Amino acid sequence: MIHDAQMDYYGTRLATCSSDRSVKIFDIKNGSQILAADLRGHEGPVWQVAWAHPMFGNVLASCSYDRKVIIWKEEGGTWDRLYEYDGHDSSVNSVSWASHEFGLLLACGSSDGSISVLSCLGDGTWEPHKISNAHTIGCNAVSWAPAVIPGTLMDAPSGPKSTPVKRFVSGGCDNLIKIWREEDGQWAEEKKMEAHSDWVRDVAWAPSIGLPSGTIASCSQDGRVFIWTCDDPAGGSWTPKLLHKFGDVVWHVSWSITGNILAVSGGDNKVSLWKESTDGQWKCVSDVNKGQGISSGPDETRPEQ
Amino acid sequence: MHSKGSMIFSWWIDFDVHRHAKLLCFPIVSGRSPAFIFSYFFFIYLYFSLQMLSNSSVIFPGVLESMSVDLQNFSFLRHLEDMAARVVQTFSGWRTMSCELDGAASAVAVSRDGSQVVVAGRNILKVFAIEEEAFVEKVNLRVGRRTSVNYSCSDVAWHQLDDNLLATAATNGAVVTWNLSRSSRNKQELLFAEHKRTVNKVCFHQAELHTLLSGSQDGSMKCFDLRRKDSVCTFNGQSESVRDVQFSPRDYFAFAASFENGNVQLWDLRRSDRCERMFTAHNGPVFSCDWHPEDRGWLATGGRDKMVKVWDMASARPRELFCVQTIASVARVKWRPERRYHLATCSMMVDHTINVWDVRRPFIPFAAFEEHRDVTTGIAWRLPHDPHLLLSGAKDCTLFQHIFKDAKRPADRANPEALCFGPRGDVAFAAKEGLSANDPARRALPGDRRNPFFFIRKAPEPYDASLTQQHSGSVCSVLNVFQRCDAKEKLNPLENESESFVELAQRYCLAGRPFAELCDHNARIAMELCRHQVAQTWLILKLLYAGGDASPSPALLPNGGIFCGKDGSSGLGGDGMSERGKSEGHGDGGLEEPNEETEGSDVENLTASVGLYAAAAGLYSGNGEEERLELLDQDTTTSDFPEFSLPPEAFALRHEIVDGPAGLEHLQTNGPDGPGSGDEDGTDEGMRSACQGKVGGSTAGLGITAAESVSLISVSQPLFGQTLPPEVFAPAVIAMLEFYAERGDVQSTVSTLIVLGEKASGGVDTLVQEHWYLSYLELLQRFRLWDVATQVIRLSTCAAISALNHDSTSLNLNCSSCRRALGAKGWLCDRCRRCASVCAVCHHAVKGLFVWCQGCSHGGHLKHMHDWLSASPHCPTGCGHLCEYT
Repeated sequence: MIHDAQMDYYGTRLATCSSDRSVKIFDIKNGSQILAADLRGHEGPVWQVAWAHPMFGNVLASCSYDRKVIIWKEEGGTWDRLYEYDGHDSSVNSVSWASHEFGLLLACGSSDGSISVLSCLGDGTWEPHKISNAHTIGCNAVSWAPAVIPGTLMDAPSGPKSTPVKRFVSGGCDNLIKIWREEDGQWAEEKKMEAHSDWVRDVAWAPSIGLPSGTIASCSQDGRVFIWTCDDPAGGSWTPKLLHKFGDVVWHVSWSITGNILAVSGGDNKVSLWKESTDGQWKCVSDVNKGQGISSGPDETRPEQ
Repeated sequence: MHSKGSMIFSWWIDFDVHRHAKLLCFPIVSGRSPAFIFSYFFFIYLYFSLQMLSNSSVIFPGVLESMSVDLQNFSFLRHLEDMAARVVQTFSGWRTMSCELDGAASAVAVSRDGSQVVVAGRNILKVFAIEEEAFVEKVNLRVGRRTSVNYSCSDVAWHQLDDNLLATAATNGAVVTWNLSRSSRNKQELLFAEHKRTVNKVCFHQAELHTLLSGSQDGSMKCFDLRRKDSVCTFNGQSESVRDVQFSPRDYFAFAASFENGNVQLWDLRRSDRCERMFTAHNGPVFSCDWHPEDRGWLATGGRDKMVKVWDMASARPRELFCVQTIASVARVKWRPERRYHLATCSMMVDHTINVWDVRRPFIPFAAFEEHRDVTTGIAWRLPHDPHLLLSGAKDCTLFQHIFKDAKRPADRANPEALCFGPRGDVAFAAKEGLSANDPARRALPGDRRNPFFFIRKAPEPYDASLTQQHSGSVCSVLNVFQRCDAKEKLNPLENESESFVELAQRYCLAGRPFAELCDHNARIAMELCRHQVAQTWLILKLLYAGGDASPSPALLPNGGIFCGKDGSSGLGGDGMSERGKSEGHGDGGLEEPNEETEGSDVENLTASVGLYAAAAGLYSGNGEEERLELLDQDTTTSDFPEFSLPPEAFALRHEIVDGPAGLEHLQTNGPDGPGSGDEDGTDEGMRSACQGKVGGSTAGLGITAAESVSLISVSQPLFGQTLPPEVFAPAVIAMLEFYAERGDVQSTVSTLIVLGEKASGGVDTLVQEHWYLSYLELLQRFRLWDVATQVIRLSTCAAISALNHDSTSLNLNCSSCRRALGAKGWLCDRCRRCASVCAVCHHAVKGLFVWCQGCSHGGHLKHMHDWLSASPHCPTGCGHLCEYT
């Protein structure tokens, strides 16, 4: 069972991870895909993978039920373990790389309720920072804020350029969404947001491409998807807006790179794409059904354009 | 069906023994189908009648399961099972509980009736009674002042026929039996000191009161008759140390033994000379084995290789049925009672949890008990027919009773779907495949390589179902990559967003030509890609700034010069231009792009512009002579006022422009798609021509909103004059930039920003600009448009952005002949007085791109080197170096 699939920065590679402990990397070229690598090293189902920014080379992080986070790096066509983190007491459910401005910085959310932030120091060693008891019962998802916080952007006077604040959002089994920010090297809870009535399954901070406000999408076991927006420069007030209530668990939310389209996948094996219309309402613009049970000719015979 | 349900229900109300049940039915029944309600009540009915019959709350789950074959596959049955578990636990009052021990436990064993548990360890040997709320210590078997090493236990067994009979295995090789019924404090009964090394395991025969089996580190197994003082017979495995021995419940005389070298042996009690059967089960030690409690001949083994395997011992050759992969070496394996496919494991190190696996799902445990803080050493199901209660002892000196209700369900956390938005707008989506997994025959064949199967789909087109069937099963996923629809299906402007992004990025002209021409060019490209709104923006920008920039004087000729920067003949007389405009219009008539007119409008006098409209109208697949004439009339009238005065509503109009693009786009998008005639088309054309009129007349018109355009058709509206300073437009333009940015179209923002250059940059905060630039650059880099990115950096008016191109760009050069570092000159070596950058092929100094081999430092013109090295691998200088040209 595939638990996660991630395309790399350029969209030329796809990493998948599966229950069978493997992480597979496919090259996508002209609509065909070739298995490029099969990374073995985890001893349990691998829940999530994440590509780092290509300025660090081909670096992939994966997290697993075996409580480990493995950071892989491709060198000369072969993938090797760059670092292995085993500081969690339970399954690690989510990994996410921070914006490249911060260097190699990885957040990992675990079922033991804690979140670790691993940062790569210059000499190739890794320094973990652990946030204990971030979410009781467990943390299901983490997602970094873009390096530029829109709040500071619009209102900042043309004074000296301040270094961007490191922030990330996490969602857990306590039905909460929390925003964390780094202050003096310590991670502190900045905001606790409550709207879901069941486990939060995924959170995604929208890329801030020209957007004036911070935006977070969250989805939950209760079938609801919320869009959280923050217009407050200090990042203090977030307002939720219900995107839609689905009939089943919503597993994933994912933003397009420009941050204006949201893909939502639910327990009914459907993907839907959502876009905000000019009046601020979210509309479903596309519905991709897996087409269960419908048969048609193989892919190769599809009519060309 | 309803009547039956209500009948049962009324029966139910009368049946007030279990009052809780009422609470149970309502939430479940509401909103379900009649079929469900019926089955639900049917099961409840069965359950309670069975319960009444057996007078035991324990028996029913097993009955339930045997009836439903496999509960896991039916969600509502599973629900029912969970609920039933809750019922049992509610009524019984069982709960997760623990007690502290004096020392680390190494094994636990339960009495037959499940009322007592014995915990054995190096420093502990105690019997606890299991009460409802807590464990109560009953007997401490380690008595006396001197504690013998005989009591340092590695294993303990409780006889399943005699509640007073216990056996322990000691680390010094002793096997001790205990009789709890003895009245004295010392309850030790027999001591067999026959093994030379640690006894790892003791096991009572299930049906024989006096038969005890032991397995030791010394490699031998001994069978004791408790009526005798020494062993009856010794089985020598001829292998390494014995880790586990287990009597078979299937065969009276058979027992299995597992060894440190990975072997499992099957013995017959009556034959001590050699084993019946031997096979290698694991890589490395097999720490534990367990027979399936039902009569199936299934043996589960767990080893240091982190695997649990289930073997079919009934067949001629032991056959591996299932293989479960755990995250740590497996110390103990115990089948779960009443659940055919479930077994519990605990690990030797790393992992402190007790996992319960469904052997058909080999990767994710079915349930996990995470209470222990150190390695769990002993596990035992409390009752042979109750799957809900598990007892465990651990090195953290605690004894736990676990309740299934409180177990973690890791599988529930597992994400069965994957979703990813690729940079090119494609969506990768993997989902669990097939609900046909209900069929047990299809599930989890051992050794099945569950490769995700993979294909790509361009349009929302159903996948090939025949392919998926081969892979169906609960543990298989299908991964689809959905790409956006092709550009030709312009049903939705979203669909080809990424393609058009790349196209626009590559084809936009951002500098190097006069402003108006840049606008025209970009507008045309945007139009070609059906980005009407963006195209219109470019045109407006051109109107605003090109006109304003031109000259405050109403003279037309110099203006025209600006507009027609690309052809020098633009300064010619009006008639000539008119001709040109017409011919161009007709020449391009084949193209259906309406913005061809825009290009055609590079004319500077009235006649020309009028001529052009004729051409333009021709392009519009003629709606009729009348309309065309009408348009001509309007245009003429419009053009009759080359000098306009600033109307009073100027400020109101400025604001309209901000909102204009949305409304305008709506009208404009309809235009090119609908070639038919009609009022709307007429309006559209009118609008267009009105715009053209302003362009042609080089009047800096602002009337771009739809309302304004329409009004232009009917009444010749006075427009803004060129006398207006460009600052007036600044707020509108900035609002436009922000509008695009807000919509995530940072490309338009940055491109216009660059083209506008100084004209607009003043009004926007530098940090905001920087952010826009950085966002756009990031996007460009994602699409690998390095050259465009570099160009954007170069053209940016932001100091911080321009500086990006200066980052890490210094090159230190050494002379290729004497290897001395070149100074600031960079091309002439101080020492050998030679030009450092001479082409090795043509021996001329290289100006421009110089490529050199980093191995031998010889190089030359890019093309020369390329040609040379594609023919020969050697350096063209003859230095013998094998240069690599990639």
